[in-house]
Amino acid sequence: MERADVAVVGAGPAGLAATVVLAEHGADVVLVDEQAQSGGQIYRQPPETFTGVAFAAHAHGAELLAEADAAACRRLQRTLVWGLFEPDAAQEIALNGSAPSPTWMLGLAGEAGIDLLAVRHVLVAAGAYDLPVAFPGWTLPGVMAAGGVQAFVKSQKLLPGRRFVLAGAHPLLLLVADQLLAAGAELAAVALAQPRPGMTDALATAARLRGRVARLGAAGGPFLRLRRARVPVLFSHVVAAAEGAEAVQAAHLRSIDSAWRPTGAPDVRVECDTVALGYGFVPSTELTRQAGCVHGWRSSAGGWVTEHDEWQCASEAGISVAGEVSGVAGAEQAAEEGRVAALGILRDLGKLDEGEVARLAAPVRRRLRRLRRFSAVVQEQFEPRRDALAALADSSTIVCRCEEVTAGELRSALATHPHLGDIDAVKQLTRVGMGPCQGRFCQLTVAALTAQSTGRSIAELGAFTARPPAKPIKLGELADVEAGEMRA
Amino acid sequence: MTATRIHDGVRRPASVSIDVDGARVDAYPGESLAAALLATGVRAFRHSQSGKPRGPFCNMGVCFECLVVVDGDAGVRACMTPVREGMRVETGSGGAG
Repeated sequence: MERADVAVVGAGPAGLAATVVLAEHGADVVLVDEQAQSGGQIYRQPPETFTGVAFAAHAHGAELLAEADAAACRRLQRTLVWGLFEPDAAQEIALNGSAPSPTWMLGLAGEAGIDLLAVRHVLVAAGAYDLPVAFPGWTLPGVMAAGGVQAFVKSQKLLPGRRFVLAGAHPLLLLVADQLLAAGAELAAVALAQPRPGMTDALATAARLRGRVARLGAAGGPFLRLRRARVPVLFSHVVAAAEGAEAVQAAHLRSIDSAWRPTGAPDVRVECDTVALGYGFVPSTELTRQAGCVHGWRSSAGGWVTEHDEWQCASEAGISVAGEVSGVAGAEQAAEEGRVAALGILRDLGKLDEGEVARLAAPVRRRLRRLRRFSAVVQEQFEPRRDALAALADSSTIVCRCEEVTAGELRSALATHPHLGDIDAVKQLTRVGMGPCQGRFCQLTVAALTAQSTGRSIAELGAFTARPPAKPIKLGELADVEAGEMRA
Repeated sequence: MTATRIHDGVRRPASVSIDVDGARVDAYPGESLAAALLATGVRAFRHSQSGKPRGPFCNMGVCFECLVVVDGDAGVRACMTPVREGMRVETGSGGAG
């Protein structure tokens, strides 16, 4: 069992910025991250063995990574945090002698196997993942998240396909389009759910926001570059199906109105080998849900987000959140939230007094206020229409990819059990969300379909209960950890 | 081949060979196994319980669709696994269950 003052979960912008502040003021910090290298998804770096890769597009990221490299802290890369729980009586005794006693235990799984980390404070900065959208054919090889395609291009230096269709509603999709064009890919079509004026208005607003979105607006317009490359851009269209036997061979794009309902115009069939989906992001709240923190439903911020106070402290003492976990708002805001969270933790640890944290937080809060004003507008402009996306699933469409539960099975189960009050009950009834991804890829579709069927709101239906392990770990390794150390 | 490596603006280390379903395949140390498999033309990394082909979806370790068997270990996420010389990879089942 390892010990530290603070564990920071996730080495993206929020986790890196927080670690720098914590280390600077003498906290004993462990920064834990599952990827091979720090940076998170937004600042995802190429493998260390690749050289000569320009990182120029990420000035903010390069600076953060350099500051974190210089920080005095322990860093665990390629390490999964699979559990966040309170120490039980046996652990309390084992930990006796380290006063004050730790508040939280983290279950870790890395190359050396499974271990526990006892800490007084945890900052969960676990980021977000691409919003999954279930439509006919979405399980075919070649249908990918836009963020996944982007990571192949920018980090692995791989074009994962030859001929791409991009479909979505989030500005990230346009950044991916730019990166694919620059890397020599053929773009067969870009389908955006927003109407043309809606999208350009939204981008104009977004251009005022710093971060990745601003670069889109500042650089002369992605639409101009798409037009130059003669890429068809279909506004007011969603992806309706992916077609193919062993892999994607074509995408079907459907005309929609401003509420994303089909207009009835025939689908446009576009041949392609890869479909990239960019409808938004989902905050990774598995650990804060495990720990029993209060979450709120904020659709425009990505769905379920961890509630927090002005110091980024969650409802459970000793847990803070920063970045996308508390609402999807981009890298710069994430970093500032990480700094505020770090100051709050330093105050709780007694490393800084009230006056010092207030003085240090003031400039950060000024920047944060400005960033939050813009991100609120952007979140609203690019919010996905969840009801319309859920309606894309026909009766044979797989909703839960792990357990292969179809929308038809789900709808008929819901029809025969009209009084289900929460989505955990739907999980028990149909096995959705019980596979290795732990419901990350079906939860919001299940919630939207259940909301349609029961007339209850997604907020009322709740989130799946999160239990350790947050991701599958080897049972043999788990057995190595004393049974008494496990308390789910 | 559907996927291709980008050569502009990057220097890769000397290639190594890995074994993919009994065939010798060149790949680069440190590169993700998912990238290496796509670059060699593999699209279905595994088949679901009902026998349907699946490939990488999220490419960040959360979807569990790119599971393969590596050196006898089932359920390994190809997107999270760096290529190593001599690695033995089996696609098709993934051993997710």
